[in-house]
Amino acid sequence: MKHPAPRRSAVANAVYALLNPIPFGFFVAALIFDGVYAKTGTILWAKGAAWLITLGLLLAIVPRLVNLTQVWITSRRFGSSADHIDFWLNVVAIVAAILNALVHTRDAYGIMPAGLWLSIVTVLLTAIGHVLIAVHYSTVREIAHD
Amino acid sequence: MTKALQPAAFALTCVMVLAGCAGKSEQNAADQVGGDPSLPKARNFLLPPMQVPRFVGWKEGATPTVAQGLRIEKIAGDLKHPRQLLTLPNGDVLVVEANGPGEEAVTTPKQLIAGMVKNTSGKGAKGGDRITLLRKTGTGEWEKHTYIEHLHSPFGVQLIGSTLYVANTDAIVTFPYTEGATRVDAPGTEFTDLPSTVNHHWTKALQANGDGSKLYVGVGSNSNITENGMEVEYRRANVLEVDVASRGSRIYASGIRNPTGLQWDATTNTLWAIANERDEIGNDLVPDYMTSVKEGAFYGWPYSYYGQHVDTRVKPQRPDMVQKAISPDYALGSHVAALGFLLSRQNALPAQYQNGAFVSEHGSWDRSPLSGYAVVFVPFQDGKPAGKPQTLVSGFYSRDEKELYGAPVGVVFDKEGALLIADDVGDAVWRVTAASP
Repeated sequence: MKHPAPRRSAVANAVYALLNPIPFGFFVAALIFDGVYAKTGTILWAKGAAWLITLGLLLAIVPRLVNLTQVWITSRRFGSSADHIDFWLNVVAIVAAILNALVHTRDAYGIMPAGLWLSIVTVLLTAIGHVLIAVHYSTVREIAHD
Repeated sequence: MTKALQPAAFALTCVMVLAGCAGKSEQNAADQVGGDPSLPKARNFLLPPMQVPRFVGWKEGATPTVAQGLRIEKIAGDLKHPRQLLTLPNGDVLVVEANGPGEEAVTTPKQLIAGMVKNTSGKGAKGGDRITLLRKTGTGEWEKHTYIEHLHSPFGVQLIGSTLYVANTDAIVTFPYTEGATRVDAPGTEFTDLPSTVNHHWTKALQANGDGSKLYVGVGSNSNITENGMEVEYRRANVLEVDVASRGSRIYASGIRNPTGLQWDATTNTLWAIANERDEIGNDLVPDYMTSVKEGAFYGWPYSYYGQHVDTRVKPQRPDMVQKAISPDYALGSHVAALGFLLSRQNALPAQYQNGAFVSEHGSWDRSPLSGYAVVFVPFQDGKPAGKPQTLVSGFYSRDEKELYGAPVGVVFDKEGALLIADDVGDAVWRVTAASP
């Protein structure tokens, strides 16, 4: 099996595999909370979303740095276009999440509707990245088996 | 930096520019005082305007600046967050030393950061939870006696007959008053409880009416604009009237976000209040105000401000309540944080400071440039404000607005008619007199 491209460090791969799903989960939960708050105005959900976005961003730091290093430095020569697109989707998603964390410091319903839109953007972009990578490496594996 | 990373750097720069775009006020502050303040459009921010001078305290011998014709001296120092003052019949002065009870849970990431910001300004320092008595001696020096201890974030204090009423953050407690005593050892007796969930706005202002039959209590809201949920706003943001004989209370007027000072005008039998309005919708919104308090009236919070200017941050919106909302009488300026209030017919200051209201403005944290940090005088005519505020005492921060020396809170006249000012950042009490008697 020639592919997937050998990423340099098994440790980096393991760290990435462990940490990368966490922010995605947090942002999905934040989206659900924002949806409930937008609909009900019950403040618990807005406060929950604020924590989820902030913590999601903090937990994204390490996996994003690993990804940056792997895509553009250590595995540059083996990097596929899917890796590159995934990287940029995540950059925009993180920018949206940072804006969203600031929007979520507003009081009460001042968060809406911007907070909900930014949560949708964050989740959508990250999700597309995940799907692209999954599809890409499934295809690659099939080729390798032939 | 590799070429590929440049768009990322660009995106980050954009975020920082966007976040910093709150900017400085372009409003002329003079348009926001008086009966009909000009109100800009409300805005939502990524980062609201914020400017907090760093606490340094008063240097040895330094004092606030007074207007021409006045003189200022320090009569007490080394206090623990002095907030309110009361002059007793024999001329002794009570100094209530307190700060928030710190009971509000941290429920958002924002609160974590806001707490740190507040502490750099010295406004978050621990309060003494006690009352100190100041007594003028024959030589003109003021003695300091620890009068009552172990209070629970006290603020308002009133004397009716031989009973001293102290408004802790959770209850009014009473103490027996003996003229001339320098210490009260009797334990306080709970007189009546006060709304005390969360205590986001913790101060309970206290004012007796003319005949001492009622006590009015200023109860602040539990949030800026309902961000802690409506359920914790029960009996908040209002003035309560406590019947002294029965100890029962009722809501006298509502929708007043944070009534931090109350006064009784004995000539017109009217209750007056100063109040702090909402934050984070602009440098110039919403002006704090002074108003006569009409029985049963609704002043807008949270649904609207200054009459019927709707606040879109409240969910659900209540057009029916907005319709009921009335405008306060007199704007003091945005974010000045009016915390001390005194109506005076007559005093020993020069003629231009007779018959009017003294308001001390604790100073802004969410406005740029700074506003407040001054004691102002609003002249009255026929029992109503008439004319612009005049600044008596200022100079509480450095010229470059970076360093904070003090901040005025409670104001009262002593027995000789000199104006006393509690300074809870400089931990001092100041005395202002006419320069030439």
